[in-house]
Amino acid sequence: VSAPTIKVTIDQREVEARPGETVLQAARRHGIDIPHFCYHDKLSISGNCRICLVKVNNLPKLQPACNLGCAPNMVVETSVEQVQQAREQVLQFMLLNHPVDCGICDKAGECRLQDYQHAYGPKQSIARDPKHHKRKLHDLGPRITLDNERCILCSRCVRFTREISGSSALGIVERGHHSYVEAQVPGRFDDAYSDNVIEICPTGALLSNDFLYKCRVWFLQPVRSVCTGCARGCSVKVWRRSSVRQQHMPGTDSSHVAYRTTVFENPDINGPWLCNKGYDQHKWMARERLLQPLVRGQAVAPAGALAEAKQLLETARNPAVLVSTHASNEELDVLQSLLGGVTTYVHRDWLPVDGEVVEDHLLIRADKNPNRAGVVARFGDREFDPAAGHDVVLAWGEMGTALPLGGVAWIHLTPFGTPVDAPATVVIPLSNTWERRGSFTNFEGKSNPFEQVFTKPAGVQHAADVFRSLAS
Amino acid sequence: VNGTVFMTFPVTATSHTLADYRARGGYAGLEQALRRHTPDEVGERAKASGLQGRGGAGFMTGLKWEFVARDAPVVYLCCNIDEGEPGTFKDRWILEHSPHQLIEGMLIAAYALRVRHAFAYIRGEFDLPLRRLQAALQEAQAAGLVGDNILGTGFSCDIVVHRGAGAYVCGEESSLINSLEGRKGFPRNKPPFPAVRGLYQKPTVVNNVETLATVPWILVHGSERYAAIGVKKSPGTRLFGVSGHVERPGLFEKPTGYPLAQLIFDDAGGILGGRKLKAVIPGGSSTPILTGAEIENVTLDPESMGKAGSMVGSGAVIVIAEGTCMVRLLQVLSRFYAHESCGQCTPCREGTDWMNRILERVIAGRGTPADIATLRRIPSGIQGNTVCALGDAASMPVVSFLKKFGDEFDHYATHGRSLHDGRLAP
Repeated sequence: VSAPTIKVTIDQREVEARPGETVLQAARRHGIDIPHFCYHDKLSISGNCRICLVKVNNLPKLQPACNLGCAPNMVVETSVEQVQQAREQVLQFMLLNHPVDCGICDKAGECRLQDYQHAYGPKQSIARDPKHHKRKLHDLGPRITLDNERCILCSRCVRFTREISGSSALGIVERGHHSYVEAQVPGRFDDAYSDNVIEICPTGALLSNDFLYKCRVWFLQPVRSVCTGCARGCSVKVWRRSSVRQQHMPGTDSSHVAYRTTVFENPDINGPWLCNKGYDQHKWMARERLLQPLVRGQAVAPAGALAEAKQLLETARNPAVLVSTHASNEELDVLQSLLGGVTTYVHRDWLPVDGEVVEDHLLIRADKNPNRAGVVARFGDREFDPAAGHDVVLAWGEMGTALPLGGVAWIHLTPFGTPVDAPATVVIPLSNTWERRGSFTNFEGKSNPFEQVFTKPAGVQHAADVFRSLAS
Repeated sequence: VNGTVFMTFPVTATSHTLADYRARGGYAGLEQALRRHTPDEVGERAKASGLQGRGGAGFMTGLKWEFVARDAPVVYLCCNIDEGEPGTFKDRWILEHSPHQLIEGMLIAAYALRVRHAFAYIRGEFDLPLRRLQAALQEAQAAGLVGDNILGTGFSCDIVVHRGAGAYVCGEESSLINSLEGRKGFPRNKPPFPAVRGLYQKPTVVNNVETLATVPWILVHGSERYAAIGVKKSPGTRLFGVSGHVERPGLFEKPTGYPLAQLIFDDAGGILGGRKLKAVIPGGSSTPILTGAEIENVTLDPESMGKAGSMVGSGAVIVIAEGTCMVRLLQVLSRFYAHESCGQCTPCREGTDWMNRILERVIAGRGTPADIATLRRIPSGIQGNTVCALGDAASMPVVSFLKKFGDEFDHYATHGRSLHDGRLAP
């Protein structure tokens, strides 16, 4: 049985609206763009920006599309002259005291205010008044810079902290044109999801301290990836230099730098939200890499390390494999197909670190590995048992030193670490998540694909290739 | 003393007490309602009387009550005592001299709407009215007129007094509700209207003081008698506060349809010092201004006032004598609206301040004719585009002043000085 729908006409097009849907939502679903600043799919309706005003049933007074429920036979006009004029006037009001300092604003290029001004704004301001000044570029918290002059007081950030993250840490204080956004404890906005307010801010008022003045966004290109911070496996965008810009930067390393990580909206898994650890992914992915294959502490060529590892495994009486929970499903399939009868254990690459949010109501999970579900589905959920008498262990994944492997010959396959904290018999460096494509299965059993962001550095190998050469 | 509903007694040092109110027949309406009528009958009487809201918008009171669902388990009643419209001082008079009349009206309305808890939202600046209201509530409580089992009829209703914190916008019903809930006084988007979802998400009726205080009279004297007073379409008497350049400013109770000129020239004693009438703001600072010539045949009812291009509003008649600088006057008004805009929605937050800044500049002698042209364009971006009516209220004076006294504005902007020296012309 199909749900009853309501027929409404938007811009002479008859469309079907779902019961309870607003005009703005129905229009968006049918590809009709009604501009909006304060409206957000996952937040309550505030109706304060007034840019979404539309003409309804030829009534003289315009109605905000974001707060207007669809009614049968409603006739909505979104581009008649009266509506266009109202949009121009609203934008004129918004820019009245806005500094229009796009040239030095990080948001330029992905700014809703900029986009709408170009699409719907007046050609020229009729104001000749000096602008009101408010506090510029000050710390709202340790991670976020606030520019009150650029703020249009849409209250999205305030509603986010009240309705989604639950910290209620932000509010709008004062009245009239004196109003401004402020943290409950000024300068101490430190919600575990605080960076989302940067993402949902329609202007350049809220900016990331980490990304501040790093790069113009139009030099960057997003690549869809998955956050490896916990078992939720949120979809993220990793921002690298766009291929066009790389040609202009020969010989520099900047083409291998991830400038920032932001959320990739994935309704199935994380919706439009991401925790601060996710927004920091580019920072912890930049931790020290292991790039040199080692045999008993001595640097060797990749082929030498592989040969040594192969010999160790072939002569072993009772070998075991510790399977990385940071491995992609595709790598796990390769391992499974080549394994034979070797004993396997789940290896937790990461455990919660001091000061980290362990688990909460929104996204963060206690298991800090992205693909435990994928490992368990293929190899079972046994944890490593030192008493099982293994003489050779193939440890795949980070944190090898944390394993109780005293006296056993072991081969460590890892993307990260240093020779000092990898005292294994053989160390083979691997590519990391950003250097290959694949998918993770999160704790709910949902598979989430990720793309390759960078090429892998010389000297490291993909885990799948390592397994193939060990098995050949 | 010559009034019908309100000014029926000489104001004395004790006229606000329960004893005095009882002596002039008080609480008879409540008795009658509780003992002789069902709640629906009371509602029908209010509707049949044709009583219109006295807060400014003039919505039919009976109809407003009817919008509340009959089967709603919880309904709230709020009395709006946030009398903040510049020029208005009628509710203050009721509270200072006859607070029991309001309490009685609230109780009758609460009975009609099946309300258990009613709220009196009083503006923070009211001091004597607050003390009089609280004293009256204590008296009424002691006499068993408020609280549990009123007059032994089984009907219970408590009245909670809540003081505002000094925001004009909290006189708008939805921001009054937000303020009552302890939130910032931001108006809500409509729909939903308060009658559907208001205070604490429950159906709520917000009525003005004068409106509620009229209800006892209607019950005692009958809705037919009330409907026969004044003009047919909006019957009854109203309190008109005349202020500005008149000989005897004050509050007058007059039936609707009373000639505006008579109110100014007879009741208020004419223009100060025998000067000429320049203009009248007929219904509180938000209503469009009328010139002296325009008011000649205007009567104090919505229809006649509408024809003249203005509104009865809250019944605050502000009289302006010849010689007054209209630019300066408008700047006083626009400063008020810029100060009182809550800042929630864009057009009002930015627009009211912008208009005020332009007028400030013109007053300071730094204006240009282009400024006046800009001033003419701004209101169209505010009117009808805001969450509540404050944007409209701020725009209407600007539009009407510029339309009727445009030459004064052009002169000020061009020459950097006023067309009038500020002294009232003889």
